[in-house]
Amino acid sequence: MKLAVMMLIILLAFAGLGARLYVLTRDNRNDYQKKILSHLDYNSKTLPFKRGSILDANGTILATSEKVYNVVLDCRVMLDDEKNEEPMLDALAQCFGLDRGELTKYVKENPTSQYYVLKKRIPYEEREVFEEYKKTYNEQARQNNVKASEEERVGIINHGIWFEEEYIRRYPNNTLACDVIGFTGTDNNGQFGLEEYYNDVLNGTNGREYGYLNDDAILERTTVAAMDGYTLVSTIDANIQAIVEKYIKQFNDEHMNEAREGLGAFDIGFIIMDCNNGNILSMASYPNYDLNNPKDLSMYYTEQQIKQMEEEDTYYKTLNELWRNFCISDTYEPGSTAKALTLATGLETGRIVGNETYECGGGLNVQDRDISCNVLSGHGTLDVSGSLEQSCNVAFMKMGEAIGAKNLLEFEKIFNIGLKTNIDLAGEARTASLVFNESTMGPVELATSSFGQGFNVTMIEMATAFSSVINGGYYYEPHVVSKIINSNGDTVKNIEPRVLKQTISSTTSEQMRQYLYAAVAQGTGRSARPAGYAIGGKTGTAEKVPRDKKHYVVSFIGFAPADDPQIVAYCVINEPNVADQPHATYATGIIKNVLTEVLPYLHITRTEEMTIAEQEELDNLLGNIVASDSQNKDGQDGDNADKDNPDADAEGGDGGDGQDADGKENEGEDRADGGGKPFYVVDPETGELIDPVTGEKAEMDYHYEGGDSEGGEGGDAQDADGAAPAEDGGT
Amino acid sequence: MAKTMSKKQVQIRHSRHNMDYILLTVVLFLIAFGLLMIYSTSSYEAGEKMGDSAFYLKNQLKSTILGFFALAFMIKFPYKYLQKFDLIAVVVSAILLLLVLTPLGVTRNGARRWLDFKIISFQPAEVAKIGVIIYLASIIQKLEGLGKNIIRTPKGVAIVMVPPTIIAGLIYIITRNMSSAIIVMGIAVAMLFVAVPDYKWFFALAAAAGAVVFAVVMYASNADTTGSGFRLARVSAWLNPEAYSTDKAFQTLQALYAIGSGGIWGKGLGQSMQKLGFLPEAQNDMIFSIICEELGFFGAMAIILLFVILIWSCMVIANKAVDRFGSLLVVGVMSHYAIQVILNIAVVTNTIPNTGITLPFISYGGTATLFLLTEIGIVLNVSKSCK
Repeated sequence: MKLAVMMLIILLAFAGLGARLYVLTRDNRNDYQKKILSHLDYNSKTLPFKRGSILDANGTILATSEKVYNVVLDCRVMLDDEKNEEPMLDALAQCFGLDRGELTKYVKENPTSQYYVLKKRIPYEEREVFEEYKKTYNEQARQNNVKASEEERVGIINHGIWFEEEYIRRYPNNTLACDVIGFTGTDNNGQFGLEEYYNDVLNGTNGREYGYLNDDAILERTTVAAMDGYTLVSTIDANIQAIVEKYIKQFNDEHMNEAREGLGAFDIGFIIMDCNNGNILSMASYPNYDLNNPKDLSMYYTEQQIKQMEEEDTYYKTLNELWRNFCISDTYEPGSTAKALTLATGLETGRIVGNETYECGGGLNVQDRDISCNVLSGHGTLDVSGSLEQSCNVAFMKMGEAIGAKNLLEFEKIFNIGLKTNIDLAGEARTASLVFNESTMGPVELATSSFGQGFNVTMIEMATAFSSVINGGYYYEPHVVSKIINSNGDTVKNIEPRVLKQTISSTTSEQMRQYLYAAVAQGTGRSARPAGYAIGGKTGTAEKVPRDKKHYVVSFIGFAPADDPQIVAYCVINEPNVADQPHATYATGIIKNVLTEVLPYLHITRTEEMTIAEQEELDNLLGNIVASDSQNKDGQDGDNADKDNPDADAEGGDGGDGQDADGKENEGEDRADGGGKPFYVVDPETGELIDPVTGEKAEMDYHYEGGDSEGGEGGDAQDADGAAPAEDGGT
Repeated sequence: MAKTMSKKQVQIRHSRHNMDYILLTVVLFLIAFGLLMIYSTSSYEAGEKMGDSAFYLKNQLKSTILGFFALAFMIKFPYKYLQKFDLIAVVVSAILLLLVLTPLGVTRNGARRWLDFKIISFQPAEVAKIGVIIYLASIIQKLEGLGKNIIRTPKGVAIVMVPPTIIAGLIYIITRNMSSAIIVMGIAVAMLFVAVPDYKWFFALAAAAGAVVFAVVMYASNADTTGSGFRLARVSAWLNPEAYSTDKAFQTLQALYAIGSGGIWGKGLGQSMQKLGFLPEAQNDMIFSIICEELGFFGAMAIILLFVILIWSCMVIANKAVDRFGSLLVVGVMSHYAIQVILNIAVVTNTIPNTGITLPFISYGGTATLFLLTEIGIVLNVSKSCK
């Protein structure tokens, strides 16, 4: 009986609990379900995209993004089991060299912290070390735990330590082509140059990993992969760029602190452009900066000066000046280089036929103003060619008078002076307000304009206009990127050369080539001619404002070879650091050195006889180049090639790297028949970086797989393209 | 040879025909279901901590197999001989409890409750439960044999209730295991309740207990609990779990979330989210909440129904038992199960404060499983000789 009562009580209790359960599930279902879902990790995680690389014409990497990792500690997850703390902190201390004591302190003070970045931007190798450690440790711990009693159980390394992915931008060549490339911080926001101009192209789309609840309220995770950014194949050739930078640096070093404290010049700009398609092969300026460390001013300023700048708030101003690309952002009066444009205008309009003669007495009075010639004693009687050769201001003022303001201004517009060239680089200056128009151009302005004073240009404007003067009259839009490819190496977009207009007829262009050739062969540009080559060009020495005859911009613009122009080279030196500035020889010297190396590199052969003196000079120059690269001595005769080849064999045997041996052989051959060849930063055959010290393929392999053959093809195509207009020009 | 045979036949004359197979089936089902749920709830955490997701399952399987040996033995072992061990059972229980204080006692999960004899380790509190059942069944039967109302005299009550009280006290004092102490006292009271015809004393006791509970609740809900003992804090946490969601009531609240989110039909076996590290050690006390989450209200009620059948079967066996001792043994076991199941579910549903009582046959725990199966063996043994 009592048993039945007890059973009743028990049943009642069960009934009560059943009711309680029912009420709980009925009333709180949605509430509690939300609570549970809220502590599930279905918030999303960003998967960063990889910003596209920037390659040079040979496929060598100029800029690339590297995946790095941030070490993150999630104390809460770690302390799921208190025994985990010890092994996990040990692992951190051991793998990342972190201070054990500080870690313990942090965990003790912030046991619920979920996101604590312990170390930033470690490379994959360091992460690998940790993963390896974790794996071995956990295996041991688990083996131990299966057998151990509760007290003997040891902690494991759980996912309380995780790695956040990030990309950082790397520039394997540091300062090389810094103005063209520009730089990008971790925010993927490019500044200056290609990085800024093509920012959207280089950037991809972030991926996401997120959880969501399906129809049955079960958590599912989905990953949307990141879309990597596109890679730019630029027209810049790293080797040409390196040659150019070497010589402008050399100029700087030679004239550093010469007439005043400071660099060899305020600015040195240099552009090499393929005149038959507008490809920029090289664009450099000095001072340059390290792209991997753009805020480092220590190359040019002492610590004290930097501190002072910070105090005076001029720090960023100084940096900005350093970062801007002189070749496209800075304007100046072109000086006599503009005479090529004036003459071309005269010929094209028919106001000058070519048989005129000009009398120069050392100056000309225009509207009650005496404007002097560059030679105060006067040039005497000059024909048209002689005027250009001697760069006679009086003759050109007379030409300008003959052409007339209207025509001169019209052709300025045709040559795109005062308009942007729309080169694909960030920061091109607008010069519209810096040139004359019909209402502002009086006789005096007409006179000065005809020899390149009074109006401002950018280097890229001049180089592009000049290209059209000598290439048969085709005005190509200058550009730095030839192709955009995706992360698989497939072409997304080819950027073809664009002829914007015909500036002058091909006959006028032909005439101009002869005049400009003469200007170098017999005129002021003589010192720009590299031994063995025939080039054309024009020097420029422009007075700066204030016109106190002390501050000058000296320059030279030229093309090579003279009969079939392939490249235009333009060098501008803003106030060389010398006592006597107005000598274009400072610019022609750099041009000569650069062309002496670049022309053979471009497989342009020497056509002119060389005097013994020239030959010696050339040997000297090349000898210097070769000697400066430790591995190569005076590589001239077969002996040397023989000596190098066994060396190469030995290397091949050691490393078993066929490519290396091949490269060596090629070099040996070149040296044997070409008479010494300098080392390049990039192997022109393979597009691989070369270690400047050993001459071997560089350790860091930034070589881009897809770019090699592509780059080669691109180069071929350029050559083929280049031939067609040149032939046109010849007719 | 023939002599012994015939003697045995006399003793187990009703064997084979009357053993309660329904009870056995229910128990086997519960055990199998328990193993399944242990794997379901613990595999994630075991994989994380031990590198072996079946770690807890394997451990439980070992004690279960051991338990089945004990079960088989107890089915064969005539329960009447147990009466000879009545005093020994209590004394041994007490000694084992005291041994926890010696170096033989070991601490696990922060509580010193285990005895480690190298080959085998167990919780003496579990032994004490079975010891108390045997003692009470025997002593009540003996007292009743002496005279009808002797058990109702103060002296009789003392003889019945003092040893269990001492055991419960030892459990509480030595092992700080209040839940086991409550169960031991509960078993004693229940057996006494069945043994005597009185009601008023029990009502008085229930009323007194109710008053005490009410007083404690009133105190806890008004008092500032900071600084007071953890039991009082538990009461406070029970009254207002949301306020203690980060520490004291964390487990309870997570269990409630699990139950609530399961709904009527549950999320499906293995689909619990709470077991993924949010409900710590879900395979222990709180396993019922994961059952609710995965199998819903429906599954939970099915499990409760199985326990009802189990207890009902025990009642039937107790009713039919040929002697008073066997009947009382079954009543003890029955009340043991009933108390544990009810208290466990009550804790999980936050009906009472958290005390840490496991769910028989389903919760993880080696010693508990072993002795629970032993008790089932005794019940089945009694059932064999039923009328």
